[in-house]
Amino acid sequence: MHLKAVDVTVRYAGRCALDAFALDLGLGEIVALIGPNGSGKSTALRALAGLTVPDKGDVVLDRRPVRAWKRRELARRLSFLPQAPLSPDGMSVEQLVRHGRFAHTGLLGGYSMRDREAVAWALESTDLADLSDRDLRALSGGERQRAWIAAALAQEADILLLDEPTSFLDIGHQVEVLELLCRLRRERQVTVVVAIHDLNQAMAIADRIVLLDKGQTLFSGAADGLADSGLIETTFAVNGAFERKPAGPIYFNAHIAT
Amino acid sequence: MKPEILGGAEKPASRSFIPLAALCPLLLLAAILLGVADLPVGEVVDVLLGGGSENAQLIIGTIRIPRILTGILAGIHFAVAGALLQTVTRNPLADPTVMGISQGATLAITVFLFFAVYGVNADANTLYALPVAWLPLVGALGGLVAGALIYGLAVSRGLSALRMTLCGIAIGALLHALAMGIIVGWGSARFEIIMQWLAGSLYARGWEHVVFLLPFTIAGLLVLPFLHRSLALLRFEEDVSRSFGLNYRLNFTLVLVVACGLAASAVGVVGPLIFVGLVVPHLAKVLAGRHFAAVLPLTALLGATLVMGADLAGRLLGGAEEIPIGVVTAFAGAPFLLFLLRRYR
Repeated sequence: MHLKAVDVTVRYAGRCALDAFALDLGLGEIVALIGPNGSGKSTALRALAGLTVPDKGDVVLDRRPVRAWKRRELARRLSFLPQAPLSPDGMSVEQLVRHGRFAHTGLLGGYSMRDREAVAWALESTDLADLSDRDLRALSGGERQRAWIAAALAQEADILLLDEPTSFLDIGHQVEVLELLCRLRRERQVTVVVAIHDLNQAMAIADRIVLLDKGQTLFSGAADGLADSGLIETTFAVNGAFERKPAGPIYFNAHIAT
Repeated sequence: MKPEILGGAEKPASRSFIPLAALCPLLLLAAILLGVADLPVGEVVDVLLGGGSENAQLIIGTIRIPRILTGILAGIHFAVAGALLQTVTRNPLADPTVMGISQGATLAITVFLFFAVYGVNADANTLYALPVAWLPLVGALGGLVAGALIYGLAVSRGLSALRMTLCGIAIGALLHALAMGIIVGWGSARFEIIMQWLAGSLYARGWEHVVFLLPFTIAGLLVLPFLHRSLALLRFEEDVSRSFGLNYRLNFTLVLVVACGLAASAVGVVGPLIFVGLVVPHLAKVLAGRHFAAVLPLTALLGATLVMGADLAGRLLGGAEEIPIGVVTAFAGAPFLLFLLRRYR
């Protein structure tokens, strides 16, 4: 398993959405993409997922460019959850999660015992077993978000690309999702790239943090280095201080003028 | 969402199949028994058993039955095409006009009649025998060409459901304007046949029309089971369905081809009965609820039933001057569309 982005440049209507983006993912690594709105996080994830073909550079999985992979083969290796996907009408939680198994069943195959187990596991992991029969449109924003995460999990890919998976969740479920990512890494050696807004959550779970701004990669490395760089204050135009405790992750305390 | 709709969605789809499956043959029987020509029931039964007078045989065997069958097939075509297009464009208002099918067919038929009739005789006030036998083929080809044109345009702009719809609306409006321009500039006696075709009609549809439609019906319905899971996944946004592992473009295109084939052939034969393609899939979705697998079979059944029923009503209510079926389906469908508006609120 080796997903690697080399010099990936994406332009939208002349504007450079992503400039020479590079990322080399190790097995079971968690990488957090952070940056202001419109900094290129989503573009980077879409390029990694093979959904955006770069104008320059390439994303390579097992030495083969992702755009050359068959979507179904790729889907067994790599699962991507876009930001706030639309839920179709008249679909239950379980039906959605079952669609996550498409990469394994194909157009005509039935659902095997293995598929059912994966669906049950995904529902269980996202705390949705009790809601599995509910209509997607009848769920709260957070429940729906978790249903989509479950669908991505059911795919059982070893690379998970998530675009702001915690955005609609309350703090309890945010923590639950982040813990789930850590557990997936620990128990299944899943590699995770996650775009996330909460800097402290990013620093708590990620092995590596990539800071993007206007398509440029400003920083790529561990939370310690990010704290020392002073880039957070300049990029986000905030005042604040990093706090280091003897145990536990680094914490950024933003100063709010009142 | 309102709780009663949720309740409806959880009903097994089989419950709606049973009354429908019963209604369909009843309507079929009524459509054969009833008509402008007042044949006694006994005589109709005689004909069906292989006897009856020559006149009755003619009315039943060469007028009523092929007309009813044409209606059933056209109903299936429009309804299924509508359901497919609504699914892949993720637009609840999509119908065969989205792919420019009816506008392309209208233009082709207008141009064809223009050259076939006007080209031969420029006198606007004489009514010539119109080459009606060619209309289904010309209409179907016009519809398919329009569909291909719109598809090509959408592909060149990076094929997506929204681009497809926008290209369809733009090209469709252009084709429609061209056809209207020709009709208005041309005027006169030939107006009528085009207007009649535009209103959608099953008048004087015979076995040749059944034979024309049947290959499309069979091919379309045989392919559908294989497209079931693609369709289920095409309900998602492109990013999502591709991430789940679907070859989006290929499957999107396949479904479009099936939808265009069904719609164009039917438009050629009976004219743009577009309302069927718009309304029937919604009704089927309400009845099917969460059972996505039931949507297409229900759509086909409902489409056949609706067109058959509307044609029967048009034949009976209008007397000798029958009401065009397009008018009847619009009258029947409009209230239902208003009902749907409440549902989507």
